[in-house]
Amino acid sequence: MLRLVYLYKNLTRNVLRTLLTCAAVALPIVIYVLSAAVINGIDEFLDNSAKQLRLVVTHRASVISPLPAGYRAKIESLDPTGKRILSVCGMRWVGGRRENDSRILSTMAAQPDTFPYTFADYQLTEEEVAAWNRDRQAIIVGRATAGQFGWNVGDRITMIPSVPPYTPVEFRVVSTAPLAPDPITNFCRLDYFEEVVRSVIPPEGWKTDEWVSFIFVKCASKEDLDYFRQAIDALFARTPDETKTQDEKAFVTEYVNQQFNLPRNLTILAAVTVFVAIMAAANTMSMNLRDRLNELATLKSLGFSGRTLFALVQTEGLILCGIGGLLGALTPYVAFTHTPLRDFQVPLIVHLDVRPIVCAQAVGIALLIGVVAAVWPSWSAYRLPVVSALRNLE
Amino acid sequence: MTLPLYYNWRNLLRRRTSSVLTFVVVAVLVFILAVLLSFTAGIRASLAASGSSRNVIVLAQGATSESTSVVLPQEASRVVQAPGIARSPSGELLLSHELCVQTSIPRRGGDGGLANVAVRGVDDIAFEVHTEVQIVEGRRPRQGAMEVVVGDAARDRYANLELGNEVSLGRLENRAYQVVGVFDAQGGALESEIWAPRTLLTDSYNRPFVSSVVFRVEDGASVSQAIDYIRGPSVQLEAKTETAYYEELSSRSAELVWLVTILVSIMATGAAFAVANTMFAAVDGRRREIAMLRTVGFSRAAIMFSFVIESLLICTTACVVGLGLSLLVTGTRQDFLSDTTWTVLAYELTITPRIVAAAVTTTTLVGLAGALAPALRAARVQVIEALRKA
Repeated sequence: MLRLVYLYKNLTRNVLRTLLTCAAVALPIVIYVLSAAVINGIDEFLDNSAKQLRLVVTHRASVISPLPAGYRAKIESLDPTGKRILSVCGMRWVGGRRENDSRILSTMAAQPDTFPYTFADYQLTEEEVAAWNRDRQAIIVGRATAGQFGWNVGDRITMIPSVPPYTPVEFRVVSTAPLAPDPITNFCRLDYFEEVVRSVIPPEGWKTDEWVSFIFVKCASKEDLDYFRQAIDALFARTPDETKTQDEKAFVTEYVNQQFNLPRNLTILAAVTVFVAIMAAANTMSMNLRDRLNELATLKSLGFSGRTLFALVQTEGLILCGIGGLLGALTPYVAFTHTPLRDFQVPLIVHLDVRPIVCAQAVGIALLIGVVAAVWPSWSAYRLPVVSALRNLE
Repeated sequence: MTLPLYYNWRNLLRRRTSSVLTFVVVAVLVFILAVLLSFTAGIRASLAASGSSRNVIVLAQGATSESTSVVLPQEASRVVQAPGIARSPSGELLLSHELCVQTSIPRRGGDGGLANVAVRGVDDIAFEVHTEVQIVEGRRPRQGAMEVVVGDAARDRYANLELGNEVSLGRLENRAYQVVGVFDAQGGALESEIWAPRTLLTDSYNRPFVSSVVFRVEDGASVSQAIDYIRGPSVQLEAKTETAYYEELSSRSAELVWLVTILVSIMATGAAFAVANTMFAAVDGRRREIAMLRTVGFSRAAIMFSFVIESLLICTTACVVGLGLSLLVTGTRQDFLSDTTWTVLAYELTITPRIVAAAVTTTTLVGLAGALAPALRAARVQVIEALRKA
């Protein structure tokens, strides 16, 4: 009991110092939580990609070289039973932006018949699929994109594609895909888009239709995924358009790593900020020790063991950093779950979802910081030579 | 009368542990700030160094970048009518038809896999139009020969682009082009590219069109007049100056600057708290000393000033060390995939004067914010009481 009272007294003895230390620990923890949330978001997205058992077929030369649309039928013919390859969907990158707005949208034109099956994880409702099938101008917009521009189901929207014909194209929103793993990307129908292209570009220039940028192949099992990864490339070997087939996770990872290598760099950032927090906390603990040397010496001479003093200083560090950690973890959690900030989008692929588990981790790390920061002060307290400490009394 | 700087220095040395720890906190802050900003500075520097305001780039109407622009030959040929196109000394029009395609090339050192590198098909005239491009090693590719020149940024960042190496290009990646030269573009975006003879590239990639037409406007002629002409009814293509084109491409890095600003301000606030903590401890530990100084005649202002100087001393040295550390990472090449061009831009991390200014400003603010409250407390020390407690 005495020890608890003593601990409490110690923490409240210099309230300002306690508060400043808590803040100095809490702010790096905030950065840690935010970085971890982004990394988690990316990981989760990748894990979902892996779970979907989809292969992505692209041109071997580069991602944006076109593949003949006829490849879809050839890939489907690899499995006439239809039990190992569940569905195949070709897509073309459209990009796009709104009029008088330089922000680039992420839009794909997808082959409409197989899209809902290949991307079952988008969990479109029956009505949405029906609307998608019925309306050639249908577009499924990412929920974050929809939120950003205030688009709702039923709206007519105009978009200027980033590829020929570069003229405004009209779409009708049929879904804002509330359950889709990717909150940003929009999907329109390839047949409609090709028709738009055909109407504008003179056909003799260049092949403007009958090609796709990517082909997504949904497989039935992990074994099928591994098998067709090679079988598809083998099928198109030594043709004018050779392919490169990877599973969706590998494909997305490659893209993510080209965006400032975010997962790696954020990990480094998080590690450095934790280091800063350790320094700040260690500073306070060593100052506390200095201020109380004579007191600790007195305690020792009264008969308290070195171990008790060790434990006292350690616990003080733990409490101090524990409070800082809680503050640092709860602030972003509350901010990104219960305030308008929750609509905030990370520019790349995910919106920020601060999970309780990340916050728990952060508090754990804060406690660790407390332990590390107090190592040297508590060890000094343990070894404190009573006589010389009392002699140095000012 | 002010206290000598020496007094502050000795005080810092007396409380060595806490001075060093505070110093480390601020130094790491500066390091992170400088490195994060150097990413965006590198991208910006590269894009800002690209192109000339006297060069006009012509794209398909509505296209946002060369890689997604399709200009058919009959459209491209109309560009020569534009007013004010400069001529070379030998009388040729300084107008270059260019084809932009991509190829996948692994990065050096085997980290992060393949990068989508831009390949530009050019005629000989391109070297006259893009005056910033200078061959620094080897020679220009000969038209009609399977030869390429590579930008020095591309050579440094991607594998197997040394002089004499062969690089596979084309729709099938089955055409071996030999690297016969390396060029420098004064740090601009073109340095991330591979240049090949256009006619061969057209065939290798089966693209019977060009991506852009770049021309130089005569000295004295109006650039905007040429642009208006191209946009007008007789040509109907998109035109802008090269500088404007690269400016638009760099808009993406503005988002990054925002993110960095938020991160750094959170960290800076934390560092200010850490500094404040140290300074409060310094004031509390020296009450008697302060009272003594007051007794011998130093004013409140002088004492306040002294504590602020002490905090700034830590922060400024930390700033210097942090910047010094960040210099270690500068010059390393990074690349990023633009979502407008779908090709990678290899850039160098650079510490610019603006970054140094940002670092100095931040540390000064941290030092001031951290010292202000403690210094006020020091100035308010009650002389008699503090001396009596001794």
